[in-house]
Amino acid sequence: MSAAKNISRKLLLTAVFFIIWTGVISVFQIRPIYLPGPEDIINSFIAMRASLPSSILSSLRITLSGFLIGAVIGVGMGLLMAYSRTFMNIVGPFMEFTRPIPIFAMIPLFMIWFGLGLWPQILLVALGVSTVLGVQTYEAVRNIPSVYINASYNLGAKKSVMFKTVICPYIVPHLIGAIRVAAGTSWGLDVAAEFMGVQSGLGYTMIVRQMYLDTPAIIAVVLIYSVLAIILDQIIRLIERRLTRWTEREKMSF
Amino acid sequence: MLKIENLSFSYEGNKGKPGYEVIRNLELTIGDNEFVCIIGPSGCGKSTLLKMLAGFEKPSEGKIIYNGQEIKSVGYERAMVFQEDAVFPWLRVRDNVEYGLKVRGVPAETRKEHVNKFIETVGLKGFENAWPKELSGGMKKRVDLARVLANNPETILMDEPFGALDAMTKEMMQEELVKIWEGSKKTIVFVTHDIEEALFLADKIVVLQHIKNGGEAEVIEVPFERPRTVKIKENPEFQKVRRRTVELLKKYEREEE
Repeated sequence: MSAAKNISRKLLLTAVFFIIWTGVISVFQIRPIYLPGPEDIINSFIAMRASLPSSILSSLRITLSGFLIGAVIGVGMGLLMAYSRTFMNIVGPFMEFTRPIPIFAMIPLFMIWFGLGLWPQILLVALGVSTVLGVQTYEAVRNIPSVYINASYNLGAKKSVMFKTVICPYIVPHLIGAIRVAAGTSWGLDVAAEFMGVQSGLGYTMIVRQMYLDTPAIIAVVLIYSVLAIILDQIIRLIERRLTRWTEREKMSF
Repeated sequence: MLKIENLSFSYEGNKGKPGYEVIRNLELTIGDNEFVCIIGPSGCGKSTLLKMLAGFEKPSEGKIIYNGQEIKSVGYERAMVFQEDAVFPWLRVRDNVEYGLKVRGVPAETRKEHVNKFIETVGLKGFENAWPKELSGGMKKRVDLARVLANNPETILMDEPFGALDAMTKEMMQEELVKIWEGSKKTIVFVTHDIEEALFLADKIVVLQHIKNGGEAEVIEVPFERPRTVKIKENPEFQKVRRRTVELLKKYEREEE
């Protein structure tokens, strides 16, 4: 499909969406508190323009640092569990026990343990991300065909070198999916965390606007969240394309 | 020199189930610079034997003496060319060939020299920067071979390396392997179930019987002169030795029926 055709199709779909949206509101006489029209949401953006940048920054700080810390810990734990049987025997049962605990149930405890402020939020996101990625990393390592490991040893590699030169590159494409899911989840964790204990940020803004039954503002914040999540996802995919040029994966055509 | 002494191997059973025996009391000597093919029915333990020579498996009983020392672990002086595709897909051709030298800490200058030399030997010049996914099955086997050769092992263990290739490519690879071996004089232990392949390549063929038939190993000396070309396959003498090998392989078949 040509690029021009592609763009015009997207524009058309957007137009159809807006027509249905405004049409539904005027036909069924829906009040803005339930479903605001496009102009209400634009007005909300304008009204919040002073506080939005700092809210976005605050939420970005929680989500991104939580995501990065969680990813490093999760992948590191997964690799360590695969590397050392002793480590696996110590940490494995503990992980088995803690993994099924709903992460949101930890929010009150985190507030008690780590106080108010950014750290309980960041740690909550990090915990959620690391449990997902720890398991996924471990599984990815276990699925590596043994012929690669044998070949590496056979050519003279030591265990640590084999891990660095065979296991690490092999698992990258298998982890990308999990990393994208974890990135998506970290936004959700950020919202939940902000509902509980901070005084700034997008999630906090939502809670405040909800008290005023300000639906357009809530939708405006949801839109910001989705734009941020899409940007992060695109960045990950960009990195993926650079790191996985060697895979056989083609564009899906079925 | 490889001396296999009174070697037995059994796979361990799972969870208390009895294991099964694959090799029993095998005696075999392989000289330096010899090209030996091991042939036998499936399940006769020829791949297992190769794994023990490489050090991936340990004998249940007996031992394998390599240059005066018992084989206890994997070592790059005994390099394996696997049946499966073992080329690392995440490394370009050049980096694959360089791998062994790099992990062993060979200086960069020497590495480059070896890599270029063996990429040329296997006929992959011009493909140094290709990803393995861009290569055909035959070309990947060449990369694997170059990677092993560049690492300069004394002995090369090959487990049906050309089994997955089409007939044309296979013949070409056989010819090249013979040429490489004649030029380098390494010891090669080559497992196959293709009699013609074994006759064309080897100095001697070890016919390994299935354990249910006693698991004995019989050695056939291959009389053809070197250097060899595929033309010898049409030689009447070649057909005669082939016949003898087939009969040896089928020795126990009638009794089974």
